[in-house]
Amino acid sequence: MIRVETVTKYYGPLKAVEEVSFEVGRDQIVGFVGPNGAGKSTVLKMLATYLLPTSGRLSVDGFDAVKRPLEVRRRIGYLPGDTPLYQDMRADRFLAFIGKAHGLSGAGLSRRLEAAIEACRLEETLSKRIKECSTGFRKRIGLAASLIHDPEVLLLDEPTHGLDPLQVLAFRELLRKLRPGRAILLSSHVISEVAAVSDGVLIIHNGRLLADGKLAELCQREGLPGSDLEGLFVHLVRKGTGQNMDGNHGSHEGR
Amino acid sequence: MDPMKGVDAASGRRKVSPIQGVRIIFQRETSAYFDSSIATIYAAVFLVLSSSIFMNSFFLNAAVEMDEYFRTLPFLLVLFIPAITMRSWSEERSQGTIELILTLPVRPFQIILGKYLAALLFYLAVLAGSLPIAFMLLWLGRPDLKLIASSYLGAAFLGSFFLALGIFLSGLTREQIVAFVLATFACALFVLSGQEQVVEVLDGLTRGWQLGTWLYESVSVLPHYQSFCRGVIALGDLAYFMLLSACFLILNAVTLRIHKY
Repeated sequence: MIRVETVTKYYGPLKAVEEVSFEVGRDQIVGFVGPNGAGKSTVLKMLATYLLPTSGRLSVDGFDAVKRPLEVRRRIGYLPGDTPLYQDMRADRFLAFIGKAHGLSGAGLSRRLEAAIEACRLEETLSKRIKECSTGFRKRIGLAASLIHDPEVLLLDEPTHGLDPLQVLAFRELLRKLRPGRAILLSSHVISEVAAVSDGVLIIHNGRLLADGKLAELCQREGLPGSDLEGLFVHLVRKGTGQNMDGNHGSHEGR
Repeated sequence: MDPMKGVDAASGRRKVSPIQGVRIIFQRETSAYFDSSIATIYAAVFLVLSSSIFMNSFFLNAAVEMDEYFRTLPFLLVLFIPAITMRSWSEERSQGTIELILTLPVRPFQIILGKYLAALLFYLAVLAGSLPIAFMLLWLGRPDLKLIASSYLGAAFLGSFFLALGIFLSGLTREQIVAFVLATFACALFVLSGQEQVVEVLDGLTRGWQLGTWLYESVSVLPHYQSFCRGVIALGDLAYFMLLSACFLILNAVTLRIHKY
């Protein structure tokens, strides 16, 4: 459902992403891991059609993100890293605004609002202005906004940042429930977080994809049997390889 | 396989039509204006100031007309319109919501038009706050209602142009104060270039080039606005305001596109 093909992105003279390629299929949660500034958010911004790639191709559900951005936006639920929200709006009105922008109205909108509010446990903050909500609630409002239109693809940038441990557990549970029928790509610089929920991992460093696949398989290939994601990540970064683990680009499709 | 299949059926989603897209953004922006205490303060200050200036001349001249109100209006709009438009895009950038709004399934031009129409509605609502002056004149005597209506139309077109200009300039920066200063400077250029004294000074400074005259004839809003205030509704003046407004709205769309690179 998500396909990224040899994508490069420059910010002026600075190369933020270099020839990144991967795929995420239906019913999959793939974690995007890398240190701050590695290029994770840039890739997600390009998939969300907010930024244009310098070269390469990105598509969602067969629609090219550059040529058919509206079709892509209809299919994605996007939670940007800083969780930007209209601070002066009430939470319920904000969610209704996002729902309407996605073509929901009447009973359909009410039904989806209820579902998103229940999934993100937002009942007690609905009538509050967003600026009056805590960081955790703001993150959950952003998450509810990304789910409001029942998207086939979820792009979540640092979704657990600002959540307390109980909220993190609830978020993991929610992701597992959302997995059927969807492709979910979530980025985090917290490696343990990604390891807890993902079927596969993408490891990115300095804009280059170092690894793409299932954790166990990647560890096996790197000669680190039994290692965790953190160990693999440190190994790959130290190794400083410019190639991903398959030699070209890997795929999660059908695994 | 048709990639569109199943998209709408599953969740009750429908494609947002161009008009619906504009309306959704317009509603959000309108509530942002009318819920904002700062915008209310700007509106109140504008109304008090414009009415005070009018009442002062009204008591001095004792004339049942609104000429003085509409004569001073462009100078007040130079400060008031930038205060309305400065948040339009700058706030979206500084709060990061530009990433949210530009990844909704709505075209950038629908967003720009929604923002523009909301700002226009707010401006017209504030302008309508001066209608009690017209009613007062009607109560006191027999003002030229056609002239007053024509002047209001001119004020609406003048404001609509300044709004487009201000929204465009707001798109160039993430700092609201910078957006305000830029828009004030630009609006002042369009107004002051129509002032007789400014034209004479500029002509004097650029002998042979006649810069002041050129600015007056080609750039300034005042000759076009003053036609309305004389009761003349000319196609050329309407076209001037509409084309310039459209031009800056299109430029706004171009800057949004550049922002993606």
